[in-house]
Amino acid sequence: MTRSSRLTHARQFGTVLGLVVLSSVLWALTPHFLTVPNLLNVAQQTSINAIVAVGMTFVIISGGIDLSVGSIVALSGVALGAALQGGQALPVALAIALGIGVTCGLVNGAIISWGGLPPFIVTLGMMSIVRGAALVFTEGRPVSSFDPLFRSLAAGQLGGVPAPVIATMAVYLVAHVVLTRTTFGRYVYAIGGNEEATRLAGVSVRFHKTMIYAVSGLVSAMAAVILTARLNSAQPIAGTMYELDAIAATVIGGTSLMGGEGSLAGTLVGALIMGVLRNGLNLLGVSSFLQQIVIGAVIIGAVLIDTVLKRHRN
Amino acid sequence: MRKLTVVFVAALAASVLSCNRAAPETTDKPKVALVLKTLNHPFFVDMRRGAQEAADRLGVQLEVQAAEREIDVEKQMQIVENMIQTGIKALVITPSGSREIVSALVKARDANVPIIIVDTRVDEKAAAEAGVHTETFVGSDNYEGGKLAGAHVVNVTGGKARVGILEGIPGHETGDSRLRGFRDAVKDAPGITVVESQPANWERDQGFNVFQNMLQAQPDIDTVFAASDLMALGAIEAIAAAGKTGRIKVVGFDALDDAKKAIAAGTMDASVAQFPSEMGKAAIESVVKAIRGEKLPASIMVKLEMVTKESLVRR
Repeated sequence: MTRSSRLTHARQFGTVLGLVVLSSVLWALTPHFLTVPNLLNVAQQTSINAIVAVGMTFVIISGGIDLSVGSIVALSGVALGAALQGGQALPVALAIALGIGVTCGLVNGAIISWGGLPPFIVTLGMMSIVRGAALVFTEGRPVSSFDPLFRSLAAGQLGGVPAPVIATMAVYLVAHVVLTRTTFGRYVYAIGGNEEATRLAGVSVRFHKTMIYAVSGLVSAMAAVILTARLNSAQPIAGTMYELDAIAATVIGGTSLMGGEGSLAGTLVGALIMGVLRNGLNLLGVSSFLQQIVIGAVIIGAVLIDTVLKRHRN
Repeated sequence: MRKLTVVFVAALAASVLSCNRAAPETTDKPKVALVLKTLNHPFFVDMRRGAQEAADRLGVQLEVQAAEREIDVEKQMQIVENMIQTGIKALVITPSGSREIVSALVKARDANVPIIIVDTRVDEKAAAEAGVHTETFVGSDNYEGGKLAGAHVVNVTGGKARVGILEGIPGHETGDSRLRGFRDAVKDAPGITVVESQPANWERDQGFNVFQNMLQAQPDIDTVFAASDLMALGAIEAIAAAGKTGRIKVVGFDALDDAKKAIAAGTMDASVAQFPSEMGKAAIESVVKAIRGEKLPASIMVKLEMVTKESLVRR
């Protein structure tokens, strides 16, 4: 084990410990926290952010950022809703939604790679374009009321575990394998670590970067499916600020905004910390204004640790 | 490293603990959740105050929660799920979306928690499909309020006006009803034309921008109807920026304190007053009855009033 990977592990240990301590504190403060229904609750509430954060982790490890994910959630969602309302079969509607997510990601990636623009600018622009497209498409109105089969994607359960939680676990499993066991995954780290060196090593950085943003678009569309099923409605204004929640989960989980390092396990724990915090603060009756302060403090605290660790290493 | 982790965790624990002053789990008062659209709007702050006063008087332990943003239905749903876990005896809610909220109400129904809806109605068809029963609706009739505003415009303009409308978030029952009421009230006055109608999403800054743009496109607008005062107040700023203060009549909705000041100052013409604190009060009174198992009327209407310069002087 190299020194750097040992540090990554230590960092993740810190994140897990943070989650454990946070949960213990809540357990001590309220009898309602550590119950099976409530934990399933938290898992379900975390699932959407956790899935979006998968793509964000790929992007941030590669040294980029994707601010358009929330808007992609909205556009994929309303397209899905409209397709279902229009009488399309469920698989067709799902394919349309996922296709739109991937397309948005491909556009992001292509402009970043071939246009040579900073990801922040491109995805900021796409955030607005895609949101606008969702509003134009729906004329600002939500698309509602779907059949029970579709709604079971959120309301259904398998052995007591809600469907969104199962979907989240499946997405993490697949994404984890892709990130750690495939060439593509290695290139994600390599591009974030040293893009120029990766290019000189003969890797098509442009192609792989484009694919990374496509992954982000794809998982955002998956989150849109769950969100739409959960609310039984697709709203053009859905997913506002999801990009910030996903970035927060990713950095709390120890992925460096500088790129080149991070892990999906960390991101999952990061998303859970945010979910547990929100749930716990609700259970304790903490005002929603104070909740924002606490969540902000946790984000800064987590990244502070990251930064101090790096200073140690150098 | 270990030291750092300890510091981080301690900070976390401290931040959580320090926020926990309001968690008395010991009372045997029935615990009731009041889930609002948001708390960064004076309307809902007033509603909360009325509800809290009634709760204190009637011996109800009130837990007030709200999403950070008014449009965030998913967050509202999470809050409902979380509050159910704390063993609430009733749910009082101002839905962020008339249809979307039904999925959250299903969870309350499954937990046998009686539901009282305030301010924004739930879509009846969606609720019926999901088998959700609500105890009662407390609110004011937004359609009637819109009509009141429309009749006022007909009155003060002598039936001759070119009207620009600032809408709320499209698809919201509250805003849509106000607009319908307004349009119905002015449609019989042939001299009144609605020249523009655009959403400013309930927000003050958007009210400013949208109305500024409207004035560019239609410089002869002489009357504004805004479906909420925040948007009306934004429009007033845009009118001032265009140097047209006093030449354009502004009619709003909600009678916020800022709007009353503007009416007194003459920059705004009138506003439809709702009484959110009355709604909060009526909601909690209904909760107590519902918990006792009493039957409630299908809806409880809170009065509406037109606030003008004259009515402010009279008070």
